[in-house]
Amino acid sequence: MHDIGSLVVHMLDETTKTSVRLFAPELVLSGTIVVMLLCRILPVVWRVPTQWIALAGAFSAFALTLCQFDSLVGGAARAESFFTGLLMFDQFSTFFRMFLSLFLILTITLTVLTGIPDREDGPDFYTLLIGATIGLMIMASANHLLMLFIGVEMTSVPSYAMVGFLKGRKKSSEAALKYVVYGAGAAGVMLYGISLLAGLTGTGSLPEMAERLSMIVAQGKGISDPTNRTIVLASLMVLVGLAFKLSVFPFHFWCPDAFEGAAAEVAGFLSVASKAGAFALLVRFGLAFSGHSKEVSSIAFALGIGLGVLGAATATFGNLSAYGQSNMKRLLAYSTIAHAGYMLMSVSALMVLRFSKYAGAEADAASLSCIEGLMYYLFVYLFMNLGAFAIVALIRNQIFSEELDDYNGLGTQCPVLCFGMTICVFSLIGLPPMGGFFAKFAIFYSVFKATSVHWVMWFVLGAGAINTVFSLFYYIRILKAMYIKPRPEGARKVNYDLMPVGLFVLMICLPVLGLGLFPARFTETFHHVASVLLTGR
Amino acid sequence: MDSLGNTLANLLTIAWLLPLFGFVVQILFALKWWGRKSKTGAYLAIFCIGAGFVCSSTAFYKWDTQAGHLVFKEAKPAATAEVAAPESEPTAEASDEHHHKKSSGKQTVFSGTFYQLAQFGDLKISLDYYIDSLTLAMFVMVTLIATCIHIFATGYMSEELVEDYVDHQVHTHDGGHFHRPGRFYRFFSYLSLFCFAMLGLVIAGNIFQVFIFWELVGICSYLLIGFYIERHSASTAANKAFIVNRVGDFGFIIGLMILWTSFGTFNFADQHAADHSVKPGLFSMVTRDDHGEFAKTSGGKDVVLTTQQDGHGAWQAPPESSPRKTIAYTLLIVAGLGVFGGCVGKSAQFPLQTWLPDAMEGPTPVSALVHSATMVAAGVYLAGRFYPMFTPEVLLTIAYVGCITAFVAATIAIVATDIKKVLAYSTISQLGYMMLGLGVGGWAAGLFHLITHAFFKSLMFLCSGSVIAGCHHEQEMPKMGGLLRKMPITALTMLVGVIAIAGLAIPGVYLKFWWYIPYLSINSDHGYVLSFSGFHSKDAILATALGYTKLNPLHFLLFLIPLLTAGITSFYMFRLWFYTFLGKPRDQHLHDHVHESPWVMTAPLLVLAFFAAFCALGGEHGNLFQTLSHSEPSHVEHGFDGSQSHTVSLPDSHSLHVKPAEGGASTHDVAGRSALLAAFIGMVISYLIYAKRVVNPDDIKRQAASVHAFLANKWGFDDLYDVMFVKPAHVVAKFAAAIDKFVFDEILHTFVRMGIAVSKWDRKFDEGVIDGIVNLMGNSTHSLALSLRNVQTGKIRQYVTFIAVSVVTLFVLLFALYPKG
Repeated sequence: MHDIGSLVVHMLDETTKTSVRLFAPELVLSGTIVVMLLCRILPVVWRVPTQWIALAGAFSAFALTLCQFDSLVGGAARAESFFTGLLMFDQFSTFFRMFLSLFLILTITLTVLTGIPDREDGPDFYTLLIGATIGLMIMASANHLLMLFIGVEMTSVPSYAMVGFLKGRKKSSEAALKYVVYGAGAAGVMLYGISLLAGLTGTGSLPEMAERLSMIVAQGKGISDPTNRTIVLASLMVLVGLAFKLSVFPFHFWCPDAFEGAAAEVAGFLSVASKAGAFALLVRFGLAFSGHSKEVSSIAFALGIGLGVLGAATATFGNLSAYGQSNMKRLLAYSTIAHAGYMLMSVSALMVLRFSKYAGAEADAASLSCIEGLMYYLFVYLFMNLGAFAIVALIRNQIFSEELDDYNGLGTQCPVLCFGMTICVFSLIGLPPMGGFFAKFAIFYSVFKATSVHWVMWFVLGAGAINTVFSLFYYIRILKAMYIKPRPEGARKVNYDLMPVGLFVLMICLPVLGLGLFPARFTETFHHVASVLLTGR
Repeated sequence: MDSLGNTLANLLTIAWLLPLFGFVVQILFALKWWGRKSKTGAYLAIFCIGAGFVCSSTAFYKWDTQAGHLVFKEAKPAATAEVAAPESEPTAEASDEHHHKKSSGKQTVFSGTFYQLAQFGDLKISLDYYIDSLTLAMFVMVTLIATCIHIFATGYMSEELVEDYVDHQVHTHDGGHFHRPGRFYRFFSYLSLFCFAMLGLVIAGNIFQVFIFWELVGICSYLLIGFYIERHSASTAANKAFIVNRVGDFGFIIGLMILWTSFGTFNFADQHAADHSVKPGLFSMVTRDDHGEFAKTSGGKDVVLTTQQDGHGAWQAPPESSPRKTIAYTLLIVAGLGVFGGCVGKSAQFPLQTWLPDAMEGPTPVSALVHSATMVAAGVYLAGRFYPMFTPEVLLTIAYVGCITAFVAATIAIVATDIKKVLAYSTISQLGYMMLGLGVGGWAAGLFHLITHAFFKSLMFLCSGSVIAGCHHEQEMPKMGGLLRKMPITALTMLVGVIAIAGLAIPGVYLKFWWYIPYLSINSDHGYVLSFSGFHSKDAILATALGYTKLNPLHFLLFLIPLLTAGITSFYMFRLWFYTFLGKPRDQHLHDHVHESPWVMTAPLLVLAFFAAFCALGGEHGNLFQTLSHSEPSHVEHGFDGSQSHTVSLPDSHSLHVKPAEGGASTHDVAGRSALLAAFIGMVISYLIYAKRVVNPDDIKRQAASVHAFLANKWGFDDLYDVMFVKPAHVVAKFAAAIDKFVFDEILHTFVRMGIAVSKWDRKFDEGVIDGIVNLMGNSTHSLALSLRNVQTGKIRQYVTFIAVSVVTLFVLLFALYPKG
């Protein structure tokens, strides 16, 4: 009892002194949820618009993460795990938490502009949105298999509800149901993988996993050994759970249906935020294999190659499937799948480089550039994809349609929106000088570095390059519809004032251009984050 | 003195650049601001050149009072004692003058740099100025004459002030006349550009800058001769002038190359660097010793350049031990001949004289300004400016070229019937006189004639312009006659010009009246022969020529031919006047419509007549000649004894005036009297034939038909050049064209045909194979893409099954990838 007592005292001590401080952004967001729900109950503050409370909470969270990131980069704070090692506080996780809270701000602003949750539903919607964000932030800082599962589920459950939020629409409800069932299946597989891993290693902590694995792994026997086979299968199953979140082929089936059924704002949130969180988790999980054991490294290496093949397949599948789409949200859903494929390539390159037999200084530098490229890609992706979905939502509010054919001739009616769409589309294709070009370039560069390690990466690189060409055609269709085709007679008009809608669109789209024009300013920060994550320095 | 130099440079720069400003404004904005029918552009041009005249005159006056003043005024006390003996010999003053010139220490030449254009090694290409009395006299002369001619032209060119000008001399295919917009503004913008170029040429401080503006006046001349570009004769004449000048410029360029190689500088004057070091200019590098000899190497074949200054600032050859710059004597001759070649082209000297008569196709004011008074005189000016660089051999060449030109042109002028052509040939002849004067060692005499000629020839051209305007563009003298009563002002001013060019005078009549006019009263001690300007200048040239002949008896023709030419000149000039203004009208219809020109045209005539008559007052003791001779290169004054070096000798300018001890007249007097006699004879014959009709000129023409035909054919020069150059050039050109057409074009065509054949096959390949592959790929990709949609069935049961299937499949795949134990 004494032991347990001192443990409790120690935990309380740590919790109050460190963990709560480091967990403050998430706590603020949780508090925001409580306030919003209270407002709903208390008759006095009934009239207070919930979106402003949500926005204030998002801003506070963003400010807190910004301060944390600043103190980490500046050296005032140091990386550490908290909540008894369940979560990790370092540059990498803080960057993603900052990223997510910034995204939360932008999404809430967008919903304010489009008015998608009405007054009645506001608190429910923002509760779900913020709740999902908290889950994503936990994914980004998860340091334990338990937190991995909790984070994924905490994100998924509000997402299901948000997809089905458009009440009374058959498509929406159907999409939500599909999402739930599919998510449950994927979660089951992942949970099975987690339990296998935890059972084998006797711990859930990611930093300890490599060491434990090296103890149990059978040296020199490869996959013919049952233990090794189990380790591979367990890792694969965990990856399936993440692949579901990332909508990686062949676990993407939910994505087009869910996006089509959900409101464009929700689709935008899911496409960007859940990917950012999942990729942070994937990188963290992949790096958990780092150790001195060659056998463990070779397992991770094989997983990395597999991820590369999956990435190539995902990008190809996403792009080709987008060809035949006539619904904007569906088209963008497949585009999202394709981009997940590109980003998966960089994680694959990271693992291939990191766990190759020839690991050295050069491979370390190259794996740095993988993380750097991934972060840069995500950062650009935030703006360009949110921009595209936001513009779809804004246009839907006026013409009540999300079909591509109804976009004909919009170029003259709402020049600012179409200009923003043009920037986003060019960036999604990867044309210079947009940010998308440098993002793709960075990822292909790291894949190219990995080609010196394994020949399969050549195939991955080739697939990435060809996919860039494939993607050109369906993206251009959007511009063709907007600028070249005439507006049909009697079509609904789109009228937006520059303030505040145009300003918001420009605020999202111009960073895409800015990131392309001044990439060096951001890559420096990313480089620092990546080097701390990989080398501790 | 620096302040004086700056003042002069500033004034002359303003005078130089104002016409450029006028040109730019007119060519860019005249049409937009004022339109075709406005004279505003012309007034702007007149203002620019008139202000230039004021600036030039001020500069001249300042120079005269501050720098040139001392020379004359200090010489005066000695001279006043001899007022009573005007023809007496002025040795005393001359030596005094010489003394003052050397020792007064007053700076009279001002040079400097406006702007450096480029630098190649040591050689700097820059815009410099070089101002001495010659520059100033040229500035005043050019701006004054140009002002008069601008004013005259506002009247003469007024027909162009229309939107639709009908050129009666150009016939269209349907038998009508050519219609075009009026070009009044354009005429004046060209004139302004010309004035800018001409003044730039005169102020230039290095030979390269001279060359730049040399070409620029050539362009202006081309534009102005071809002003009526639609007339075939005008465009041909413009081309001819330009091409013939290129021949001379070729020599000029050779000269420039030699100068650059051997001297390493283009500058006339010494260059003072910021560190007080002095780089010698061209003129300093070829200083002569007291005997007029160049410093030479021991072998005598090379000239040593005087590049070192002694304690007094005089340039001398460095000692033999130190590194010396030398130039082969023959190379110096070639350089001189080369530069003179440029002068031959520009000044229409034999054998390149043929372009000038054709240049009369330009409007008459242009003939007066460009092709008599200023541009064609630029060749003479350059020869004078470049005088220190000429060796005695070059000078002999110059003298002979001038002599031949003077004679040939004068003989052709006898038979010419077009009033402007007569004046054109007379211009060539007079330019020949100037060259002759320079060539025989009369530096000041040649340039003196340049100035006087400019006045009386521009006067006569304007008079002819007035006649032509009055006769409705009839230029043939045989159709005129008896115009004296119809246009008295024109006739009388023309007579002033004729007397001036003929060199008539009444000796022994002195007008003391002039003493009271301030500027002209200087040196009044010699009194004045009652004569107009041409007499004095021609006198000076012939006197030098006689002195030259006395020293070099072999070259006696250099005196006799000019003397004969003086008679011929008098004859044909009076012929022109008698033909045009006296006698009975030969074309009554024309005569009835003749009218005197308006004041805007006659007033310039009167002004120019005044200067033509009196600008040379006092002759060689007058102010103009003295001012000019102030800039005379120092070695000219003492002559040159060529007997030692087996070249020609040059006369000493003072000895010309010396009466021989044994009695009789001085060289100058002998020459003057012979010239006067020749002029009188010429005039009398002319009077008898054309005014009194003692002999019918047509009879003479029939009697000497072959001679007349020869002269009327201009000595056959045009035919000769046609056979020698034009026809061979055509043959070569046709040959080259044929080679081009049948050889090179064929080769090219073959290549092109091959290219076409290849591209046809390439197209088939492209369309059939490449496009096929691409289309196949595109189509298959598209159909694959569309088929992928089928995977997305939307059935949840399948989706969940897929999860299990996928996990198993991936696991199997990993087995394949994972290394077996």
